[in-house]
Amino acid sequence: MSVSVSTIRPPQSPARRALSAFLAHKLAMFGLLVVLVFVAGAVFAPYLAGADPIATSWSAIRKAPSAAHWFGTDENGRDVFARVLFGARASLAAGVIAVGGALLIGVPFGLIAGLAGGWVDAVISRVADAMLAVPFLILAIALAAFLGPALENAMLAIAISASPIFTRLARGMVQDAASQDYVEAARAMGNPPWRTAILHILPNIAPSLLVQATLSIAEAIIAEASLSFLGLGQQPPAPSWGSMLNSAQRFIENAPWLAIFPGGAIFILVLALNLVGDGLRDAMDPRAAKR
Amino acid sequence: MTEYALELAGIRRHFPVRDALGRPRGAVRAVDGVSLRVAPGEVLAIVGESGCGKSTLGRLALRLLEPDDGQVQVLGQEWTTLSPRALRAARRDAQMIFQDPFASLDPRMTVAAAIEEPLILHTKLSRAERAKRVAELLARVGLRPETAVRYPHEFSGGQRQRIAIARAIASNPRIVIGDEPVSALDVSVQAQVLNLLMDLIREMELAFILISHDLGVVRHVAGRVAVMYLGRIVEEGPAAEIFAAPAHPYTRALLAAVPGQGHIQAEPIQGEMPSPIAPPSGCRFHTRCPYAVARCSVDSPELLGAAHKVACHLAGELPAAAPFAEAHTGGERLSRLAAHFHREEA
Repeated sequence: MSVSVSTIRPPQSPARRALSAFLAHKLAMFGLLVVLVFVAGAVFAPYLAGADPIATSWSAIRKAPSAAHWFGTDENGRDVFARVLFGARASLAAGVIAVGGALLIGVPFGLIAGLAGGWVDAVISRVADAMLAVPFLILAIALAAFLGPALENAMLAIAISASPIFTRLARGMVQDAASQDYVEAARAMGNPPWRTAILHILPNIAPSLLVQATLSIAEAIIAEASLSFLGLGQQPPAPSWGSMLNSAQRFIENAPWLAIFPGGAIFILVLALNLVGDGLRDAMDPRAAKR
Repeated sequence: MTEYALELAGIRRHFPVRDALGRPRGAVRAVDGVSLRVAPGEVLAIVGESGCGKSTLGRLALRLLEPDDGQVQVLGQEWTTLSPRALRAARRDAQMIFQDPFASLDPRMTVAAAIEEPLILHTKLSRAERAKRVAELLARVGLRPETAVRYPHEFSGGQRQRIAIARAIASNPRIVIGDEPVSALDVSVQAQVLNLLMDLIREMELAFILISHDLGVVRHVAGRVAVMYLGRIVEEGPAAEIFAAPAHPYTRALLAAVPGQGHIQAEPIQGEMPSPIAPPSGCRFHTRCPYAVARCSVDSPELLGAAHKVACHLAGELPAAAPFAEAHTGGERLSRLAAHFHREEA
């Protein structure tokens, strides 16, 4: 007897299949390219900037973009291009670290709630609901104000505010996975509960968590910019897109480049991250697998 | 007395139904007092309409659901009182094949990992010995051993069900319960998978419980048949007798409803199956029974008889039903298809 599956083609794990679907997703690839440009800009900022982001110059105050200052200069004569590049460091670090923290806080609670059920689930879910009832930014602002103005505190505030999303998602996914036939089959086979959870449930919910994490990085970047705009994030004179926007407010009419470049940077990076997240979601959706 | 592979006594399971405020509003009587015995090497089919409780019964028999009442004995061992740890070890002897092979295999596990799992859980085989056994099992179910490195989505439905069968027999169980094991497959593939199951049952002397609504499939494989209606068994006996001389009006109606089967003379039954939350009084079938008399709505009939048992007050008094015409059964259709497709694999 033989089977129709070709033996020449290598076995396709779901991860490999998702990766090839993702690589074929043009918008997502474009988004990923843009994100990588931002990451490269942040990493190599000292070499690319061509100017010190905090060095002031009284002879170059609010100069329009030119060959010498591509993005112009600000009210203290600092090079806006250099500040946007260095500001990308704060934004990307805040996005990645805050979401990493949110995963670390949120996912374990979600797994416990989904697997344990009963009053444990009720307590964890109600706390998560209460946190989700408060708008994300308001909660982050309140926490950041409570912790004190600093970039690290802003990250922590964002991580805590974003964590209930992961708790809810992980809980729902665990419950959904637990009702699948393959989990019942695992039980019928004689698997202990912990083995079922680690071997059968976790690998099946990981892709959804990854998609949500990507989209949450975009939200966290906006949150960091908002906190910095309010003076609760990156502290001056260190550059941050949010604080740059804040000081640009006063000069919006005669020096619009002060707002356009950091604002555009936020817009483009967040859009690109959303494209990547959507692409990941499409690539990992089993219903979109066959096309 | 011979030891039965599986013995159910008075199994009962009700699912509470709650209203919007969480107050109990009654219970779905999914399985309401079922007793069955299956001997080693015997194929018992449990048939009935959707919602009659046959799948719940299968899960109760393996304690995938906890019964509210009643006993489950597997190879003479009482399962209802086993500790979780002892139950997990005992599962080696009783395995299950699920209806949907697209859902019952973990999509993120290779075929080898899936079939190896029962070996890891229930044997002390080394890694190399397990790999060898996986290859043997794959060959036994008609798949090439090289396919072990692949993932479930790379296979057709029939192939996946073969993988699920290999997994179910990996631990050398004595009992296998198949919950509609071929219903999700194409008819041509159904025959092949059924033939594989029959071969394995013979070779391994398995006790097999086939849960199915497809009487053609049942006719093809079952030695004994139990007919379920609203959580209870209404008729049970040797398959040949049930198909030749169905005694219960419900069994007759079921047989008469088999497509392409115009010979059996049964009074048509009306209406839908009543809600299992509020089953009818007396005989549960009396609301749809063309022969019902006054007594049927009061007294609940016992399942009586020796080899061929019927739960009907009028058993023996009903007009004889014409036999289930062999030439038109689904079993015949399946046999022809099996011959036709014998060399073509899925």
